Amino acid sequence: MTYVFRNNTIERFLDGDYQFAGYDDYGTVPEAEGYLWWYQVPVKMNREQLVAEVESYAQRLLWVAGQIGNKPLLVLTLECIWETNANLSDRRLSQAIEAFNNTAWSLAAERKNIKVVDFGKFLQQYPVSERIDWKYYFISQMIINPRLKGAFVTWLAEQQRALALQRKKCLVLDLDNTLWGGVLGEDGIEGVQLDGDYPGKAFHAWQEGLRELANTGVILAICSKNNEADVEALFAAREMPLKLEDFVSKRINWQDKATNIRAIAEELNIGLDSMVFVDDNPTERELIRQQLPMVAVPEFPAQPYGLVELYAQLVREYFSVYALTDEDRKKTEQYRQNASRKQLEAQFTDMTDFLRSLEMKLKIERVTAESVSIPRVAQMTQKTNQFNLTTRRYTEDDIRSMIAHGAEVWTLAVSDRFGDNGITGLMILVPENGWRIDTMLMSCRVLGKGIEEAFFKYVISQYSGALHAEYIPTAKNGQVADFYTRMGLRDCGNGQFKAQIADLDTTIKDYYTIE
Amino acid sequence: MNMEQQLLDVLRRVFKDPSLDETCSQKNCAAWDSMNQLNLVIELEMEFGISLEPEEIGRMVDFPSVLEIVKSKF
Repeated sequence: MTYVFRNNTIERFLDGDYQFAGYDDYGTVPEAEGYLWWYQVPVKMNREQLVAEVESYAQRLLWVAGQIGNKPLLVLTLECIWETNANLSDRRLSQAIEAFNNTAWSLAAERKNIKVVDFGKFLQQYPVSERIDWKYYFISQMIINPRLKGAFVTWLAEQQRALALQRKKCLVLDLDNTLWGGVLGEDGIEGVQLDGDYPGKAFHAWQEGLRELANTGVILAICSKNNEADVEALFAAREMPLKLEDFVSKRINWQDKATNIRAIAEELNIGLDSMVFVDDNPTERELIRQQLPMVAVPEFPAQPYGLVELYAQLVREYFSVYALTDEDRKKTEQYRQNASRKQLEAQFTDMTDFLRSLEMKLKIERVTAESVSIPRVAQMTQKTNQFNLTTRRYTEDDIRSMIAHGAEVWTLAVSDRFGDNGITGLMILVPENGWRIDTMLMSCRVLGKGIEEAFFKYVISQYSGALHAEYIPTAKNGQVADFYTRMGLRDCGNGQFKAQIADLDTTIKDYYTIE
Repeated sequence: MNMEQQLLDVLRRVFKDPSLDETCSQKNCAAWDSMNQLNLVIELEMEFGISLEPEEIGRMVDFPSVLEIVKSKF
């Protein structure tokens, strides 16, 4: 149950397991799984009273924040649904609203359990006349027009999805009439429209948007029916926001796009359900919807001037994230390095020679509750699906609380001669009849080099006594079903594994440098 | 569809009870509380393209009274 602090009638807008405080009642803070703060600027003609009241909200919010411990609190920003003001230069109300919102944002910066969502972004889609319906205001004290319910529910779900880190990873783009106007094979290098007047201007703005997505860690890929040499010549000859190097994976050929998209997913080692496909051709979109229903396929605008709206939709529905981590920003670079590693791999016939040539360094650390790595640790439990033995999802607060109760949290950061992958592995051990491995996971981008084995062995060698582990199967983690048996643990059935640590082989291959 | 049936469908949808019939009223239907009275009004306004006045909303206490008020708009 989520407990809602509010100052007017909002029940209609929140479907689900909510309980509502009385209007303006913040004095009692009952036990709940989470809390929601959603106040509106009240309708009050007396300016003095109105400003004084709004000025009191920040203190109330701070008080509530102090009562809820580490339980999650979502704060919707305070917005003015309606106001009328005879004194045009009197900014006290705007300032009071801003002061409240600043308080909320700084709380969220300090406290990991508190998140803020900008309700103004929702309201700005509507003129004041649509935001409030006075009939409903007077019969039921609803400040927000009840007709906005459907749109609001959709919007809030989008915000919550972004908060839960369910961001897509990869955007696959067609080229002709998608990234530029015209068809390269017919219009030629100078003929395609990507700058200058309309429609080139619209494609230019769209590309700038896509560039920005890449800056925030979205992986861009090309899937186009074209001659690869023509495409390379175009990127070399014409100035445009996106460069060929911005695309981490490319399938420029005459194969069907479903096969190509599957190959891209495989090359990047990501799931199809973390991909979005954009193509101007409705037949291609339909093919992907039918053949690969896990891939998100948005509609494409009929006219190039609709591209900016499509960009906004991509951001809103697929690529929003509450706060970007350094890992997110570096992700494109890391996937690119992986592609280079794959090319190098092809040069070696002996896998050991290849692994040795990588000059891999594994930085394995035990983290404390105060560590700056905690957000990344929580993020990995939320996002890692394939190499994840138990798929337990934790928040930052969960992790801190586990450490406080004796759990030991180990992170792995891998670097090699192509670059630094950042933190990509996690083990959580809890003291329980010896030690129990609660979580063992690795990001897919470092797999295939035996690193998981080295990480496991190094961490385990720090302990002694009995070791318990488990494997909880999901739709995605089949590849690790035999991980613990490969590491020498005894399969006790029902996904349970056991060993005495002293009996395990913990020698690590000499081509890893452990730091 | 006749108006009676259309109205019954709205009531069933708002009160989330597919077995509701013409005998339902605020007295015998637990879901028909003040919050759902408002949801009902909003749904009726959208369904029938009408606007209900506060005085009329106050008189909407059972199926026959709602029907009479909605009918009066046409």
